[in-house]
Amino acid sequence: MDLLLPASVFLPMLAAPVSYIIGRKSKNARNIFAMAVQVLILFPTLWLLVRALSGKDAAAFSLEGFCGLGLHFRSDGFRSLYAAVAAVMWCFTGLFSPEYFAHYRNRNRYTFFCLITLGATLGVFLSDDLYTTFIFFEIMSFTSYTWVAHEETQGAMRAAETYLAVAVIGGMVTLMGLFMLYRNLGTLSFDGMAAAAAQRDSLSALYLPGAFVLFGFGAKAGMFPVHIWLPKAHPVAPAPSSALLSGILTKTGIFGILVLSVYVFRHDASWGLAILLLGCVTMFLGAVLALFSVDLKRTLACSSMSQVGFILVGIACQCLLGEESTLAAQGTVLHMLNHSLFKLVLFMCAGTVYMHLHKLNLNDIRGWGRKKPFLAVCFLIAALGISGIPLFSGYVSKSLLHEGLLEYVHEGEGFALIAGVVEKVFILTGGLTLTYMTKLFVTLFVEKHPTEQRKYNKTGPYLTPLGHIAIGVPACLLLLFGLSPAFSMQALSFLSLPFMDAHPHAVDYFSAENLLGALKSILVAGVAYPLIVRGWMMKKEGKTRIHVNRWFKRFDLEDTVYRPFISLLLKGLGFVALGADRLLEGVLLPCGVSLLAFLARTADRLLDGWLLPGLTKAGAAAAAGFDAVFDRYLIPTMISVGTFFGRVFDNVTDAVALALKNTAFRLIRPSRGPTVGNRFTYALGSFLDKCAALLNRTVLRAHPIRTRFVPALAAAREDAEENVKHFTRTLSFSLLLFALGLLLVLVAVRVF
Amino acid sequence: MLLLSAVLCPIALGTCLPLFRFKRRLPREIYTIAVTLITGAMVVRNAFFTQGDISFSFLRLTENVACSFRLDGLGRLFCCLVAFLWPLASLYAFEYMEHEKSPNSFFSWYLMAYGVTLGIAMAGDIVTMYIFYELLTLVTLPLVMHGMTPVRTAAGIKYLYYSLFGAALAFAGIMLVLARGSSAAFTPGGVLAGLSRGDVPLLRFGYILVFLGLGVKAAVFPLHAWLPAASVAPTPVTSLLHAVAVVKAGVFAVIRVTFYSFGADLIRGSAAQWIPFGLAAFTIVFGSVMAVREKHFKRRLVYSTVSNLSYILLGAALLSAGGLTGALLHMIYHALMKFTLFSVSGAVTTVTGKERVPELSGLGKRMPVTFAVFLFSSLAMTGIPPLSGFHSKWVLATAGIAAGGPIGIISVSVLILSAILTAGYLLFIAYRAWFSPDADPAPRRTECGWRMTFSMLAVSLTTLTLSLFSGPLTAFISSIAAGAI
Repeated sequence: MDLLLPASVFLPMLAAPVSYIIGRKSKNARNIFAMAVQVLILFPTLWLLVRALSGKDAAAFSLEGFCGLGLHFRSDGFRSLYAAVAAVMWCFTGLFSPEYFAHYRNRNRYTFFCLITLGATLGVFLSDDLYTTFIFFEIMSFTSYTWVAHEETQGAMRAAETYLAVAVIGGMVTLMGLFMLYRNLGTLSFDGMAAAAAQRDSLSALYLPGAFVLFGFGAKAGMFPVHIWLPKAHPVAPAPSSALLSGILTKTGIFGILVLSVYVFRHDASWGLAILLLGCVTMFLGAVLALFSVDLKRTLACSSMSQVGFILVGIACQCLLGEESTLAAQGTVLHMLNHSLFKLVLFMCAGTVYMHLHKLNLNDIRGWGRKKPFLAVCFLIAALGISGIPLFSGYVSKSLLHEGLLEYVHEGEGFALIAGVVEKVFILTGGLTLTYMTKLFVTLFVEKHPTEQRKYNKTGPYLTPLGHIAIGVPACLLLLFGLSPAFSMQALSFLSLPFMDAHPHAVDYFSAENLLGALKSILVAGVAYPLIVRGWMMKKEGKTRIHVNRWFKRFDLEDTVYRPFISLLLKGLGFVALGADRLLEGVLLPCGVSLLAFLARTADRLLDGWLLPGLTKAGAAAAAGFDAVFDRYLIPTMISVGTFFGRVFDNVTDAVALALKNTAFRLIRPSRGPTVGNRFTYALGSFLDKCAALLNRTVLRAHPIRTRFVPALAAAREDAEENVKHFTRTLSFSLLLFALGLLLVLVAVRVF
Repeated sequence: MLLLSAVLCPIALGTCLPLFRFKRRLPREIYTIAVTLITGAMVVRNAFFTQGDISFSFLRLTENVACSFRLDGLGRLFCCLVAFLWPLASLYAFEYMEHEKSPNSFFSWYLMAYGVTLGIAMAGDIVTMYIFYELLTLVTLPLVMHGMTPVRTAAGIKYLYYSLFGAALAFAGIMLVLARGSSAAFTPGGVLAGLSRGDVPLLRFGYILVFLGLGVKAAVFPLHAWLPAASVAPTPVTSLLHAVAVVKAGVFAVIRVTFYSFGADLIRGSAAQWIPFGLAAFTIVFGSVMAVREKHFKRRLVYSTVSNLSYILLGAALLSAGGLTGALLHMIYHALMKFTLFSVSGAVTTVTGKERVPELSGLGKRMPVTFAVFLFSSLAMTGIPPLSGFHSKWVLATAGIAAGGPIGIISVSVLILSAILTAGYLLFIAYRAWFSPDADPAPRRTECGWRMTFSMLAVSLTTLTLSLFSGPLTAFISSIAAGAI
């Protein structure tokens, strides 16, 4: 348990909110505070480095249970070296920042995220398992976004969007790889993975997870084909951030790849070949892009990509060479170290230019560096270093890488043929590096600006003392490294060898073979610079020759491939999802309803059109049959039978009644003597009889009246008397009389 | 007895709220917050100051079916989640509801929903849970339809139809459990151990029915459509009910029935595992893609909820202790994160009136606290380590890979794809809000009121604490998961 480790990781993160709060009150205080944090963080990391140099055991620290698997830190030689490099980078950019940002807005935000990124980057370099690496790697990715987006211009926002997309996709793909690695190896700790991988017969099951992890780390490192963010993000980011992005953030990606190659795919030739090819393409493509660029920072960014390619070649050689990987391992470490420092110096020089001119186009800034010897010397040291000129530091690391590559070629086994081609590209790219650095140096410090040169010469003090320190000290360090490789660089590289499972091995840096390699590169540059840069890439316009961007616009991987691909993918997925979303309510439900409706209608039709008519017909037929039977046979028969019986029964009663009537109950009329009537009837009857007799004799001879009126009238009188008797006994008669009486009373009342 | 009172207290007091006819804000708010806090205290007492499982049976329906409450580990977890968020959500609602009408009826239903949700959490058997589950539909319906605007009414009706359909499906399956199971009570490992071979396919079919039926509230595809429609409800409803109570009750019920009634052994390796797993996996991608397409801020978050709920179902469908741990972790984390995100959307709409995603660019400088919270929650949702979303996804994916075979590959790919899409639909908003120039040339700082800010900040800080010090929570959940398998 060594508290120095978590202290150096978490203190800057804790300092971030403090700086923000201070910044709300006073800008100066915030600047001093942030600078102090960035300088102070040097001490624990340098202390760790010194400890490692003095040969003590590696410090370790773990925080179990944090976020699941816990955090594990360890600082052996290589890790403490790189933590120290990170701290150095932050320290010098921190010294340069106040000056550079003097006229910027949102500096509180910048400082806040810058400090978090510092802690996260240290966390990556000090991690002891890929889980910890990944956690800090992701934090770093998302906080460093703010650097790219800082200026909030349209270009910056677009570059930042690309950066974020690459970070997200890369991060998630890496995470997927980590899941699979964890499943396969059972652990993510570096040593544990190495042990688990060593026990396996074949690593082929690990290639896919390895490729996923490589994708994410490669994206951060700027490896082809996921380098797309790099040439766009650097030019738009503020110079100190560019220096950090290029100098140290790309190295976190390299760190991941290194862990993968050294611990998981240790001495695995197929993996080595893959990295070698990717590294070769990255190296060459980066150099070509840098050569074509007419923007100072873009050139430097592409150059970073190219140098990352060199480092990848070194890593690949470690895998390919197996046990004898010492040279390649040394080369890898030293080139990482050198490149960090080169880009620190170069981007701060570029920052100085931008700070004064706010321009980066080579045609606009040409000649600005004239009569500024300090800047020129610093730039030159870094430029010659990165180009691998003997006596400068880059020469040492490149020679080691080159020798490692040659060693593999000379072994003549495995993929030696391919490595031979890569070696040629290596030399060529070295030449191109010198070419584009010459282009930058000549433009900036030798040529004269056609119109503004006089103003440029009279810039006056262009850097504060702090700025001088920030640029000068790393440059001196580089010079020191280059002049005494055996003391300085060798010690540092030996320190790192245990991490890469290699053993120290003294090298003669200035042997004939190495010098020859450098010479070849210089020769390439000697041909390429006059022909390509001064010839094809410049055009005469007016009196002066200007730089022209001869790059083919179509050749932009991001615009031609990735963005269309992603938008196509999103559209496709969106289409499917939208379809699915509408599926239930738009398709399934209507379909279900239609189906049901169809079924119902069919059933209905079946019923209406088939079943009912059928039934009706059948029924009708049956009915008709029945009808016929009924009509013809049954009913008539039944009717006749019924009628017969009916008649019989009908008549039985009558017959019985008749029989009874005529027998037992025969009506016997009481004999009532002939009615005589009264006088009136007799007189009238006699008179009428006589009249009738008279008429019968005269008029009515044909039809005589046969009625005897005297008895008839007598009978009629008796009937009438009977009726009146009945009538007068009814209620109606009484009512009638009452009414009559009433009427009479009324009449009487009326009259009287 | 305290179990019953914790459930009945908010239901009874919530029912009584309209009787008081509060005319002024303050008494109503005091009443509401007092009820939530008292209930919360009872929940805390039940959850933390008791040993082992406590149970209470209050109604005997038939000889083997009794309504009972029982508080075990899983129930404790859900209870505490609900009891933690409800007071904060009430605080948020107080401020938000100043713009809405008839607050008395709103808070009345709001309190009742609290009790009913607790009822689901504490239900000791499948019948009680079913009853409270259906009650939840009924008490949240007025909340969705609050104000009775045509849009909300339509959404409410849709919600009701989907829920009733789900209820019917679930009922059929639950009857099967009652008919064939040894008891109705929730028992770790299930109650269908001594099943005759002929009944197995029937019961598996029954499980699929129950999954779909309870899955309606968990918004599993293809029964998700009510959730985006219901996003028209007032924001406190969306943020609490549709990010925590209702949908998590759905997920919780699925987990309960899966592991405590049917039992993982019955389902494992059959179509009854494959169909829920497949639906969940599809819903994860589907929800994320729909969220990316969606331009309406709140609806985008709703689709994100659809996606994230299925993370939990996916973890449950793995039928392993690791999967269940991941599922429960994500249940807690997602509730906290999504609560914050919805609160932010409500705050933005209240303060600026902006609802669509492109309008949010540059608002970060105007509402720094709100958007800081939003950025934080977006990072957590995306699964950026070391924040909470990363932790739960890590556990889920590890469990998925451990399941091996196609299940492992599908679950990990789906999780990763969804994480990338999550960054696409959340993180880019957050970054654009901060790093784009404001459309307003002279932006002024206009935060929402302290109550909204406080609840958002409190939940965010809890998320942060839980993500950094997840040890005890993970241990507790692992013990639940180990017991349930």
